[in-house]
Amino acid sequence: MTTAGMRRGGVVLTVLGLAGLIALYWMCFFWVSTEVNQGVIQRIFYVHVPAAWTSFLAIGFAALASGMYLWLRDDRLDRAALCAIEGGLVFATLVLTTGPLWGKIAWGTYWTWEPRLTLTLLLWFIFVGYIMVRNSTEDPDKGKRFAAVVAIIGALDIPFIHLSVVWFRSLHPEPVVAKPDGPTLPGDMLATLLFGVLVFSLLFFGLFLFRYAVEALRAEADLRARSAA
Amino acid sequence: MMMKNIVPRSLMLSLAGLAVTAAVTLAQEAAGVPPQASRLAEQNLRPYWHVFAAYALVIVVIGGWVISIARRLRAIEDRSVE
Repeated sequence: MTTAGMRRGGVVLTVLGLAGLIALYWMCFFWVSTEVNQGVIQRIFYVHVPAAWTSFLAIGFAALASGMYLWLRDDRLDRAALCAIEGGLVFATLVLTTGPLWGKIAWGTYWTWEPRLTLTLLLWFIFVGYIMVRNSTEDPDKGKRFAAVVAIIGALDIPFIHLSVVWFRSLHPEPVVAKPDGPTLPGDMLATLLFGVLVFSLLFFGLFLFRYAVEALRAEADLRARSAA
Repeated sequence: MMMKNIVPRSLMLSLAGLAVTAAVTLAQEAAGVPPQASRLAEQNLRPYWHVFAAYALVIVVIGGWVISIARRLRAIEDRSVE
């Protein structure tokens, strides 16, 4: 795909994602029923869980691209990993800000050092660490290699985050969708949640393509500047 | 005679009323049902504010990323033109 094609694809997916976000908000405010025990605060769930899913998708994608970069040494794979990490950082920030807003009402505190919250904070630091490691070496290729290793190790955090509520005594609610005996959510809540996951994934891939096009243009500009000098 | 009896009877009736109210309140507290005033006091708008803050954060953070990408794109395009 050409850089212009990526920009077009990115714009199309982002516009679809933004339209989907408006539809998701309409569903959350006017369509989905209110959860009987938690009340209105449970509606944070429809943005918190999709944001968490998208941050997992981002680190998984970055780890895959990083592994292939270490194997093939193709700069396009490194650029893809960087763009996925940036998206992951954005969505992990959303997880870590919307979650405490729910926790203050449900638990009476914004933050507690329980396993899932701590491991999610660790994931956020892995995203930040990737960017810092990539920019911290004088030799850019060395920085890219080190950052690739950070992304691969970071992806190992995902199963721990998912299973932490099962393995440890935890305040955080257990999974209600991704569980062996199937989802336990009522139909309208499950539909809203899955639509939220679709919308956030569209936004991630749209902005990822857009961001990748920027990195590709930067690489082309650097190459032109080097050949001119 | 009638007027003489009204005052003590009213007092007795008021005390009986208070006793019934106190007994009902104590029974409610023993059963774990909060009195109406407490129940109303528990209802506030705080959860709504938290929901609106979370939904607004999504727009602000994703919008911030879009603006950041667009600004970097413009900077590179300007550099290419130079």
